[in-house]
Amino acid sequence: MIDPDTDLVARAGQGDRTAAQALMARHLPKMLTLARRMLGDAAEAEDAVQETFLKLWTHASRWQPGKAKFETWLYRVTMNKCYDRLRRRSTAKLDEAAEVADPALPADRVLENAGVAAEIEKALADLPERQRAAILLCHHQECGNIEAAEILGISVEALESLLARGRRTLRARLGHLKNE
Amino acid sequence: MEEQNYPDGEADALWLAGMFRELPPVPVTPALQARVLASFDAVTERRRTGLRGLLRRLGETVWPGAPAWQPAAVLAASLAIGIAAGTFVPVEQALADGAEQPGVVALDALPNFDLGENS
Repeated sequence: MIDPDTDLVARAGQGDRTAAQALMARHLPKMLTLARRMLGDAAEAEDAVQETFLKLWTHASRWQPGKAKFETWLYRVTMNKCYDRLRRRSTAKLDEAAEVADPALPADRVLENAGVAAEIEKALADLPERQRAAILLCHHQECGNIEAAEILGISVEALESLLARGRRTLRARLGHLKNE
Repeated sequence: MEEQNYPDGEADALWLAGMFRELPPVPVTPALQARVLASFDAVTERRRTGLRGLLRRLGETVWPGAPAWQPAAVLAASLAIGIAAGTFVPVEQALADGAEQPGVVALDALPNFDLGENS
């Protein structure tokens, strides 16, 4: 299957700004959504996505089509940027980490906090990061199991195990929402 | 959501899909777009003015449209031939075989060449 991004990546690697804009329009919203749900913080998600695109621009001229699907590579980079930030958080003091994870604090989330969305986001944020990543990739970003496993660098069986545990936890946590 | 009709995993997946529809979309701010594009401009500029960029442009001038390895390979081959010739060809032979011949002219003799005046 021909990767629809190959031509755009090659042109961006040669300094074509229009191609860079097209790549950005195509992928930025999805990457930002993924980072936002992984990190639970708008500013950190924007930083992670900006770093992802910086890496893309730096490597675009050396991109070799056929090795991996471009979008898969982009998801993997985004995910790694998110993991880096989550790890940095986990090394901080526990009370500080709790503050970061608190969905009530960021100003841009005031409207979300009152409703179902805030509860879902909180439940997602409380999942272990690998389960959260698997759930988001497969159920939110609609990646196939094989692609999601490739992004996470694990086997399909391991992914399915993460998915099953993640779903079970979310269902136990959010089961009461189904009747609302 | 009628999960009773599905096996557990599939029912959970359907239920989760419904849950995620409740989440608001994450807006892409113009500021973020501007930052991402600015990073593209910075990388492009750095690539244009850096050593690698200069070499690429030099290669493009010498051999337009060719990949960088082609002019580099031709330059390396010509250097190798020159160094090999300089190393292995004896100096005497190199000088003897040269096209430079001393010209001997008797200044008091009539020129023995015809410039076409007598034809």
